[in-house]
Amino acid sequence: MQAVATNTAPWKPTHLPGRYLVTLLALGVLAALHLNLGMTHWPLDRWSLRPPPAGTFDALEFGLSVLPRLTMALLVGAALGLSGSVLQRMTQNRLASPMTLGAASGAWLGLTATAVLAPALAATHGHWAALGGALGAVGLALLIAGRNGSAGLPVILAGMALNLLLGAIATAILLVHNQHSRGLFIWGAGDLGQIDWHWVQWLWPKLLVGLVLIALAPRPLTLLQLGGAGARARGLSLWPVMLALFLACLWLTSVAITAVGLIGFIGLITPNLARLCGARTARDELLYSALLGALLLLGADAVTLVLNRWFSELIPSGAAAALIGAPALLWLSRRQLGAEDRQSLALPPGAERLDRRRLAWLLLAGTTVALLGLLLARGPQGWTFGWPSELLWSLRWPRLLAAVAAGCGLAVAGMMLQRLLRNPLASPDILGLTAGATLAVVAAVMLFGAGQMQLIAPIAAFGGSLLVLGLLLVFGRRHRYSPGIMVLVGVSLAALLNTALQIGLTRGQGDALALLGWLAGSTYRVEAGEAIVLSVAVVLLVGISLAFHRALTLVSIGDGVALSRGLDVGRARLALLLLVSLLCAVVTSLLGPVAFLGLLAPHMAALLGARRVVPQLLLAALLGGWLMLVSDWLGRSLLYPLEIPVGLVASILCGLYFLYLLIRHRVA
Amino acid sequence: MKILLALFSLLAILFGAPSFGAPARADEAPRIAALSWEPIEHLLMLGLEPVAVADADDYRAWVVRPTLPESAVEVGTRTEPNLELLAQLDLDLIVITPLLEDLRDKLERIAPVVSYGDFTQERDNYAMQRENYLALAERVGRLDRARATLAAMDARLGELRDRLHAHFGESLPAVTVVRFSTPTAVLVYGPNSMPRHALELLGLESAYDTPVSRWGNLQLPVTVLSEIDRGVVVHIEPFPGGERLFDSRLWQGMPFVRAGRFAGMRSTWTHGGVFCVLFLAEAITEALLEIPPTAVQAAGGSDSTEPAQ
Repeated sequence: MQAVATNTAPWKPTHLPGRYLVTLLALGVLAALHLNLGMTHWPLDRWSLRPPPAGTFDALEFGLSVLPRLTMALLVGAALGLSGSVLQRMTQNRLASPMTLGAASGAWLGLTATAVLAPALAATHGHWAALGGALGAVGLALLIAGRNGSAGLPVILAGMALNLLLGAIATAILLVHNQHSRGLFIWGAGDLGQIDWHWVQWLWPKLLVGLVLIALAPRPLTLLQLGGAGARARGLSLWPVMLALFLACLWLTSVAITAVGLIGFIGLITPNLARLCGARTARDELLYSALLGALLLLGADAVTLVLNRWFSELIPSGAAAALIGAPALLWLSRRQLGAEDRQSLALPPGAERLDRRRLAWLLLAGTTVALLGLLLARGPQGWTFGWPSELLWSLRWPRLLAAVAAGCGLAVAGMMLQRLLRNPLASPDILGLTAGATLAVVAAVMLFGAGQMQLIAPIAAFGGSLLVLGLLLVFGRRHRYSPGIMVLVGVSLAALLNTALQIGLTRGQGDALALLGWLAGSTYRVEAGEAIVLSVAVVLLVGISLAFHRALTLVSIGDGVALSRGLDVGRARLALLLLVSLLCAVVTSLLGPVAFLGLLAPHMAALLGARRVVPQLLLAALLGGWLMLVSDWLGRSLLYPLEIPVGLVASILCGLYFLYLLIRHRVA
Repeated sequence: MKILLALFSLLAILFGAPSFGAPARADEAPRIAALSWEPIEHLLMLGLEPVAVADADDYRAWVVRPTLPESAVEVGTRTEPNLELLAQLDLDLIVITPLLEDLRDKLERIAPVVSYGDFTQERDNYAMQRENYLALAERVGRLDRARATLAAMDARLGELRDRLHAHFGESLPAVTVVRFSTPTAVLVYGPNSMPRHALELLGLESAYDTPVSRWGNLQLPVTVLSEIDRGVVVHIEPFPGGERLFDSRLWQGMPFVRAGRFAGMRSTWTHGGVFCVLFLAEAITEALLEIPPTAVQAAGGSDSTEPAQ
């Protein structure tokens, strides 16, 4: 890989640049390595370039398992690299890829839903459900981002939001039907293992579209670089061409996903790497991305095979791809993200002011709903209305208190982040603070086992979210806290988290399910003491945030204004970010991740008319707590006696509302 | 005679004869909640119907034996049972595993709690479940019945062993139990798993050694099964989409498949209490009896076409 990276000969149309030769050579060496690693009976010290003698099982394995696997890695890698490249050229967005646009979680949800609703169908035709899910998710992401948003951060943010929402829904389905099908999880984690040529034969004709793409796409893609108007001036009918290219890309990705399961990152990293190696023209980039994609996936799969032997346990290929891919993505973005990208998604504007009358009504309605939630409950004999008995109340109040405190904390954290980064889509979950905390907990559980979870989780969560904050600060300082880099960290971490979770799910039974419960944001195990500590911590941190309200107002107007008013912007920003990550850490360590609440509560406050810092902060906190109270009640009542974790209910509730807001704004 | 009687009562329970052996359910019958599947199995074998159980539907779908009566109240999942519902059921006893140990404070406000160990690699899981069963029996005052059912189980195991010897002769084949996840991935049950304990109790050796793991099984690529060139492989049904694998040339080329030393066993739970080992042993024996003795005797010879690794 190093050799490839250093060879950056300029592209001349007359002959292939040297990097193609180097890459092909590397591909050859890697292929030999891959073939040797794939043979079950060949020890690592017995290398051979000759196929095994005919008539033995080794020969069968070589011809029917190892060779198809190699072919599959090459085909899928090339397809993912190529489609990523076209997608990035088309949207002129370095971060575009099927994964970042929500395709992966769409596919996962499609398959999960089918597996639960129609298990027989899922075993045979589940892949088509995945394809439908992927198409739907990407379509939604593009719809939300709109025509102008597809080139920048908005579409990535929309994809990220969809990833969170669809992931939450899939988790809910799995939690409700927790006797799972293991095959589903293996597919979810991406497994390149083959037992015959069936899938290769299924896949390769469908990838011929790729050749057409390489032949025909470069001209329109080059014209697109001139911008929409320029391209039209050169006689390009923009929309049909864009649509055709887009469908071709999704087709390539979907059939690849169908054949081997979810393999992230290849489509995202490959085109970036290709450009880094010197691919400049559209044709060069497409061709080289296909080649490089094949090389990357083959490398990742070779690592998978080594890990398989090392752990003498099946490690999914997608896991290795993500383990390599996530850090590579961060490294790439550190080098490449220069230009400011301050565009963002827009939400519908709300009321201008919050008057007393409206506030009074809001408070009245909110209190009524909260009271109803306390009085109305389901019991063994059906619905009951009345104050819960002492025993029931002693079981219920800690979880209610914890949920409300967490809601307040997340809402305030989200509101401060949105102001700090001047990005209406910033929130702990989208920026990866929650994912970092969660990832640390998942890693700790995998290392030490679920038995110690109560003990380790808070420490790990705190460490994790501080680590992410550190990363954000290091990257952020260089790029002036550009939302792009922040979101990238979030995307990378969320993907890593997803991978870790998938590995855990393919491996474990009890541990994984316990983890799944925690990941869903549950208040179930909260003790009275913990709930009190959490509420005190949240109240304290919110109080400190209120004390910083002037700094927050100034920073959200702009650095220039803040400086001219005598604010030490750097230090204020650091202090506020630290406050945010503390809030996230205390909440996540107790509840696990809760998505969308921190994003939505501040917006709801603003929609209701609370536009200035102090009222918005207070109203957002109130709304956050209220939403969690309602979610807790829904979680307890919807599927009684089964309880849905409050965080999951809140995530889905807020996520759907958020989606509705975005789409309404787009359609209006 | 005593063993015969016990065996008969065991059979009666297995086939769901409603009142045989169990005392008439009077008011004094303790109201017990079982929040894991092993205690459900143990309580039912003791002739006690748990009032409340976790994941009842999944128990009926996956564990199946012994049959859980419809009257049991479902109280949510095994990881997060519904505490408020439990509090309203007027319970005398709650049986949990270490998975819920951190809820003990809350549960004890509802009713007395007893906890029995679950799967671990630090102890012999079969011996531990046997102890758990006896301890639970003592707690509910049914030690005699527990001893009788265990004696019946041991007798039944001896009978199964005899049937295997009658089929295969003096030396029994080595066996490995697996469950397929997908056509390319397989779970192999290894040391200290319940299927392995069932094999040991039947006097069968393991055909393939895997490292120790928390739950006793490991997920592996299907091709590693080719390392088994002498033993028998038994797979736990169902395996939806199994034809994809079984019809493939790669599968047909596996040494144990070519030699006809492969069979399916009916769906049986692998992580249950002490009697799950008996049910596994019965299913394994059934499957093995399908395999012609000649296939196994051939493996003992030297006509294997595979060079041993």
